[in-house]
Amino acid sequence: MERPDRRKFLRGVGGSLALPMLEAFAPRRARGGQAADKRPRRLVCAGTYLGFHQPDFFPARSGRDYEISPVLQPLRSLRNEMTVFSGLDHRGRNGHLGWRAWMSGSASGSVSLDQLVAAKVGEQTRFESLQVTCGKPPGDARLSFTPEGVALPMIGRPSVLYRTLFGSAADKERMDSLLAGNRSVLDGVLDEARGLERRLGGKDREKLGEYFASLRGVEKKLQKQRDWLDKPMPKVDYPLPEFDPVAPDLALECESIMYDLMALALTTDSTRVLTFLIPGWSQVFTIGGRRLSAGYHGLSHHGNDPSKIAEYNLVGTEHVKRFGAFLERLRAGRDAWGRPLLDSTVVVFGSGMGNANTHDNSNLPTVLAGGGFRHGAHRKIEREGPAPRLLGDLYLTVMQQFGVEIERFAGAKSNMNEYLL
Amino acid sequence: MPLFLVIVGMLAAAPARGAEALPEPARRFLEGHCSACHSGAAAQAGVRLDAAAVDWHEPESTAHWERVYNALARGEMPPPGAARPPAAERRRMVAWLDERLLEHAGVGGAVPRRLNRGEYENTIRDLFDLPEFRLADAFPADDSAHGFDNVAEGLILSPPLLAQLLETATRVADEVFPPERGPLAVESRRYPLGVAGLATSEGGKTAAGRYRLVSSRNMANSAVWPARFEAAASGVYRLSVAASVFQTDKMFYPRRRAPLRLGVYAKPKTEQVYDPLGKVRKLAEIDVQPDRGAPQSLSADIELFKGEVFGLHWENGPAYSDPPRREYSTTFLAERLQADRLYYAAMLAFGGGPRGTTQEQLYAATKALMASGKLDLNDPRLDKMPERWGGGLAAGPHNWIKGFVHEEMHRFGPALDLTDVAVEGPLRPIEDDETRARKARKQRFLGERAAGASDRDHAQTILRRFLSRAFRRPASDAQVAAYAALAMQAESLEAGLHLAIRRALVSPRFLYRGLRPGRLDDFDLASRLSYFLTSSPPDARLTAAAREGKLSDPAVLERETLRLLDSPQSWSFIRSFTGQWLGTRLLQDIMPDPRLLKFIDQDRRAMIDEAELFFAEMIRENHPVETFIDPGFSYRSARLNKIYGGDLQGNEMRRVAFARGGRHGGILGLAAVMMATANGVDTHPVERGVWLLENVFGAPPPDPPANVPAIAPDTSGATSMRDQLNRHRTDPTCASCHQRIDPLGMVLENFDPVGRWRDHYPRYIRPPDGAETLQEEFYSSIGSGVAVGPPVDAAGVMPDGVRLEDVTDLKRYVLDRPDAFSRCLTEKLLIYAAGRPLTYGDRKVVERITADVETRGRGFRDLIAAVVRSESFRAR
Repeated sequence: MERPDRRKFLRGVGGSLALPMLEAFAPRRARGGQAADKRPRRLVCAGTYLGFHQPDFFPARSGRDYEISPVLQPLRSLRNEMTVFSGLDHRGRNGHLGWRAWMSGSASGSVSLDQLVAAKVGEQTRFESLQVTCGKPPGDARLSFTPEGVALPMIGRPSVLYRTLFGSAADKERMDSLLAGNRSVLDGVLDEARGLERRLGGKDREKLGEYFASLRGVEKKLQKQRDWLDKPMPKVDYPLPEFDPVAPDLALECESIMYDLMALALTTDSTRVLTFLIPGWSQVFTIGGRRLSAGYHGLSHHGNDPSKIAEYNLVGTEHVKRFGAFLERLRAGRDAWGRPLLDSTVVVFGSGMGNANTHDNSNLPTVLAGGGFRHGAHRKIEREGPAPRLLGDLYLTVMQQFGVEIERFAGAKSNMNEYLL
Repeated sequence: MPLFLVIVGMLAAAPARGAEALPEPARRFLEGHCSACHSGAAAQAGVRLDAAAVDWHEPESTAHWERVYNALARGEMPPPGAARPPAAERRRMVAWLDERLLEHAGVGGAVPRRLNRGEYENTIRDLFDLPEFRLADAFPADDSAHGFDNVAEGLILSPPLLAQLLETATRVADEVFPPERGPLAVESRRYPLGVAGLATSEGGKTAAGRYRLVSSRNMANSAVWPARFEAAASGVYRLSVAASVFQTDKMFYPRRRAPLRLGVYAKPKTEQVYDPLGKVRKLAEIDVQPDRGAPQSLSADIELFKGEVFGLHWENGPAYSDPPRREYSTTFLAERLQADRLYYAAMLAFGGGPRGTTQEQLYAATKALMASGKLDLNDPRLDKMPERWGGGLAAGPHNWIKGFVHEEMHRFGPALDLTDVAVEGPLRPIEDDETRARKARKQRFLGERAAGASDRDHAQTILRRFLSRAFRRPASDAQVAAYAALAMQAESLEAGLHLAIRRALVSPRFLYRGLRPGRLDDFDLASRLSYFLTSSPPDARLTAAAREGKLSDPAVLERETLRLLDSPQSWSFIRSFTGQWLGTRLLQDIMPDPRLLKFIDQDRRAMIDEAELFFAEMIRENHPVETFIDPGFSYRSARLNKIYGGDLQGNEMRRVAFARGGRHGGILGLAAVMMATANGVDTHPVERGVWLLENVFGAPPPDPPANVPAIAPDTSGATSMRDQLNRHRTDPTCASCHQRIDPLGMVLENFDPVGRWRDHYPRYIRPPDGAETLQEEFYSSIGSGVAVGPPVDAAGVMPDGVRLEDVTDLKRYVLDRPDAFSRCLTEKLLIYAAGRPLTYGDRKVVERITADVETRGRGFRDLIAAVVRSESFRAR
């Protein structure tokens, strides 16, 4: 089977294709010739489920002249676009379930970073936010939580993400009819609820009040969907593979495609908030033609066996490589002021898993890239002391940059402005 | 609350009819300590306490005074900073309120109760014959209130939840009336897959244009499948392979005369299949003849469902596993060692080699040893088989032999060579099970169309039947007409019914129970009973009893209660109730520290099973409720040996009997409970003490005051938990509650975080900075990261002066006061059943139930029946 050269194609995407669409969301006053608003516009969070080998992820030296670590090698050329943090976490629960806390700080499903930002910047785009993974993640994997504690489902098939973003006529027709139907459904049940309300007394009415409030909320959401349905879907020319590489063994291939589609989602301004659960669970990967000696999950429980660690790092490096390519793509793209797209996109990369070998969720691997921050250093955060800094502090800086009015997040009370602004 | 204001306001003006003047001490108390803030139109929190009289017959008024009672009894009022009333005065006031409220408070007061997640799933399954229906994992979990997740208060509805319910409604309607999807026809085409793109598993190798299968182990380990193919539609596909048998004269195994068999299996594209071979769907068998020279072209027609891929597995190789095990058969491994003493000696000498040794290196090194002439063939170890085989990630003979024989077969055979793989299809579509089931479901939903019936008549008939089930009471003509009108708007009857289903599933009448004011009628009663004991809507028999108006007959109600308790659906109740009362639901979020115990998911499941099977027997055998405390039996399997000691064999749960009065047994020594009340790493006496007060003694302590730091266990062993608690108790604000909490919590300190008995605390050996402790130890032995710490001193004195040495004393203590426990259990059942917190009025009912059940011997089954008969259950 002849596979088109995706890389060549995307160089095109990064350069010229982006421009006109991005104009659409440049703030009016900026177009009027005033100084550009420097606030970031987009957020991407990407995390691996099985972490990284910490000693090979974190650079040894801190500060600006740190030496890039083995696993982060693929990011060499992006050194000045990113900051590496070590010593950060949520002081949360250990184990795979603790992973869920990566963006929310709490395994029980408090609202996550991306959803707080989406509530602020998601209004103007077709999708307030999108959650992406590859194939079928483990049953307990959760990424994004709404303020109500609803864990958002993730799209795992490239073809589905593509269809979601760039649509098809058949989908539109069905959507159209569903939305129209839902409108009469809601009208009908509103009548029913009003009838019931008349019969009920004080406390019962109060309870039913939740129902009325929910109806109003859903109506608003449907209205928004309706409005977007009439606007044409953006057109892209992406060579989607003939079938979805969702077989566990092909996860790394799928990962590349998902990054491509995420880049397209940003350049077409379909959404400004993306989260990505980077794949890799228990499958045995073949890297550079070599089949690894054990499944990825098995390797993550390396038992300090150097050969297993080396293979665990091989997979980790593959993830970082793909992430680096994604950042390069954003750097090549331009925003409405002609600045690199990356400068107005905050990218959080890391994992909710600290030391997978012991299921320890402390000292989470963390890289912050883009977003117009002052980058170029490895920040080693002291874990002890009277007021230890948490990963939430970093999130607070990110959220505040988006204009989210928030002072506390998952136990964190300060921010990381001193390192980044 | 505006209504209070009106009533209390009226009372302030002039004593209303039926009102009772406040006695002097109460009036003085309110004036002295409350009315400064709580009077007049600007009363704080809208609570006015300047009335001269109370009308105890007004339900809103009793609710108001109950609120006052709670604030005073819990010490929440007067607020911190305000002058506190003298303790004696406050006690008198509280006692007076208690007495008046007990006399006058009514029973009931439930608000509409939304179906919770589990109830919703069961209801959809029942309504639409969708036994496999599950909400998306991402569907929000319900909050619990008053200890249970089926209490109206916690079952909030929010816009995102309703949005998800609307989406789910569409999904369910699609199951009955599937949407017409674009052009379904998928063109048949040929996929030349070759062997280079095979997703390989261990053992096999691709070389020189062929893939050599050497292993007949389980599917996940030994089968191969094309990575770049997936059935585009459900249909028949023609699989073609070119294959040959590889064997040489230097084979270790006898030359194969019979064909080598290639098994073709189906596998969902996105999944790794770990099931034993017998459980994976087999599509075909292809025989490859030995000694034919050139590769044979073979083919088979296989049925794949959309999204599946086929896997190829060598069925009859010499290296095989015994299903359902995934590792190689120990018979095969032992035979390989027995057959070649020289190899056995070399294997013992070389093992798996240093870390990172490849299969090729292992083979070469072992062979070199065998040729060296230096091996001691008289080694006595060679006369018996290894004690442990290992397997998986663990080093051991299993993996050493595996590497050796894989390489051996690669070099000399026997092996099955694939030289080409291609597939063509779909040649013709097939109807998968799902499509068939949908057709039948749709037919059942539509029913027979009466001769000559118009679309509207037909729709009305269908909707009357459906809505009556969905709303759990006969649908009114107006409802049927409204839904039929909606259905007739659509372009077809099916599209209209699709719409009607969606509406019904987000209707308040479907989502909520208890929407009718007043006493429960027969239909409400049927729902309450059925959701109580089965977490599902009323079945046909219960609905019929309600329709005939018989359910309010106590004899019928009791008969139905016992029938449901004996039905398999009662497992929903058992699971849900124990999950929350005993906290077994929390277990899934707790991972015991690996330094303490090697723990796997199946161990967790066994712990939960123990609790549930024990609870089930309590119901089935109508054991007296005290049996919960000291039963003398339980349900266990070999998995629980690591908790309770013992030497059970096999992993299936079975009943075990033992002497009463011991440490384990009953809810006070249940592994699941002990694990749920700890955090997997260390124990916390306060948590367990509070759990006991709440769930055994029925006297939960108030929440701790804010700004008091929690006590953190110190696992380094420097300060004992007891010292810390003792210090805590010297503070008078803490003492009042902690003198009740601490002795109960301390007495369970002999149970470690997973419920094992211990006489000493563990002392975790912290790894030195930057390094980790010996990791292999974590996974191969138990308790290697811990050392013996200070001894456990569990003794304590209860507030009534009774001294408890250990858990056996605690059991006696509870058994000596059986009423408290049986009252507590009654309350829990009633809250769970009625979905509301108990009111003052319910207290009398609880007393009556416990007294009634006591005369009959306190049987647990009798208790459940008495709860259902009670006024509180039947009141709204």
